[in-house]
Amino acid sequence: MTDKASALEAILKRATDFLDQQLDRVHRQTDRMFMWLMIFQWVFGIVVAIAFSPYGWSGKERSIHMHVPIAIVLGGALSGLPIALTILRPGATITRHVVAVSQVMWSALLIHLSGGRIETHFHVFGSLAFLAFYRDWRVLVTATIFVAADHFVRGILWPESVYGIANPEWWRFLEHAFWVMFADAFLILSCIRGVQEIEKLAERQAQIEALSDGSWTGPALPAAV
Amino acid sequence: MGTRGLIVVCVVWAVVVGAGFALLYIYKARPGSSGTPAAQWPADTRLALDRTRPNLVMLAHPQCPCTRASVAELARLIARVGDRVRAHVLFVKPDGVDASWQDTDLWRSAAAIPGVTVGVDELGEEARRFGIETSGHVLLYDATGALQFRGGITSSRGHEGDSFGQRRIVALLTTQTPDRADAPVFGCNLFDSNVRRSTESP
Repeated sequence: MTDKASALEAILKRATDFLDQQLDRVHRQTDRMFMWLMIFQWVFGIVVAIAFSPYGWSGKERSIHMHVPIAIVLGGALSGLPIALTILRPGATITRHVVAVSQVMWSALLIHLSGGRIETHFHVFGSLAFLAFYRDWRVLVTATIFVAADHFVRGILWPESVYGIANPEWWRFLEHAFWVMFADAFLILSCIRGVQEIEKLAERQAQIEALSDGSWTGPALPAAV
Repeated sequence: MGTRGLIVVCVVWAVVVGAGFALLYIYKARPGSSGTPAAQWPADTRLALDRTRPNLVMLAHPQCPCTRASVAELARLIARVGDRVRAHVLFVKPDGVDASWQDTDLWRSAAAIPGVTVGVDELGEEARRFGIETSGHVLLYDATGALQFRGGITSSRGHEGDSFGQRRIVALLTTQTPDRADAPVFGCNLFDSNVRRSTESP
């Protein structure tokens, strides 16, 4: 191998290292953001349950409404694992996929705690946008699969809770999933472009360092090294 | 922790979360007592039967959080059918409570629905006359006082959205033929557990 070829290989490796470092930094930062979001959603879910449905009633007799323990226990479980993983395994692939599953299930829980208000359904799309911060399109696929699976299973077991009718066509879950995929299409594109931009920056950084330390003395390299 | 341990933790987590949601869905899908609705407009009720159009009566517990969804759906129903129906919402006031009992957001929400008359049902006498035991239960009578529909207008407990009940009432009020004349009702019990006459579910 010539000196030039080995120098080029060294630049490529350096660019790959920069790319990995930058992506790891993005993943860790996003993990940290979701850690706080998971804590916030848990507290918010409890506040919503206590504020809007503190008690169930039977005449004058009252008892703690089911929403309160559900918000505390189920909300705690939903947030618990993602919080633990963002602390113990920041930047790991498993962490962001668990975060994605938890986040879309938080949408389902908040919809129930708020009494099925249409406005709460927007949480699903806000969550997808947040998940796109990872710049990893696979995370969006995981989230979408769980949204579709939730609708599919509930559509079979309890169709009126999803569609308001008892005998929907078997493919109705795809209609709901379609609108999620519609949002996904743009977010996935933005993830791919975001990674491409980081790649270009990493290549330039590697070239600049190679030129400055004298390991590359040839002509300027093209954008894609 | 190794990869295998992490997978086990994730599986356990998924099972716990799945079980939690299953409990929630079971709770929300459990209907209240369907009572024994009066087949004819009760002769001794204080509510006047409007003989020019159908009459709708909802009995409600003013503190019941689940009934918030029923009132929200009633507002949507009235928005769809307009003045084709005469609507009443009665809030049950049991013995021994003060005036603040019915001073709730539910009362204000119901009172804000155009064309809906809101009132207090002292000691639940009207609820007994109409044979209703669950908050959010709706009865629809025609102009002659014959019962046309009985049931709830939410798809599950405290959950807004389309429902069988609302669809059947709309069908009746728009001269279509509904598939059924009833629907499960979801809400709190109007009476203390020791005075409820029936706990039969639809």
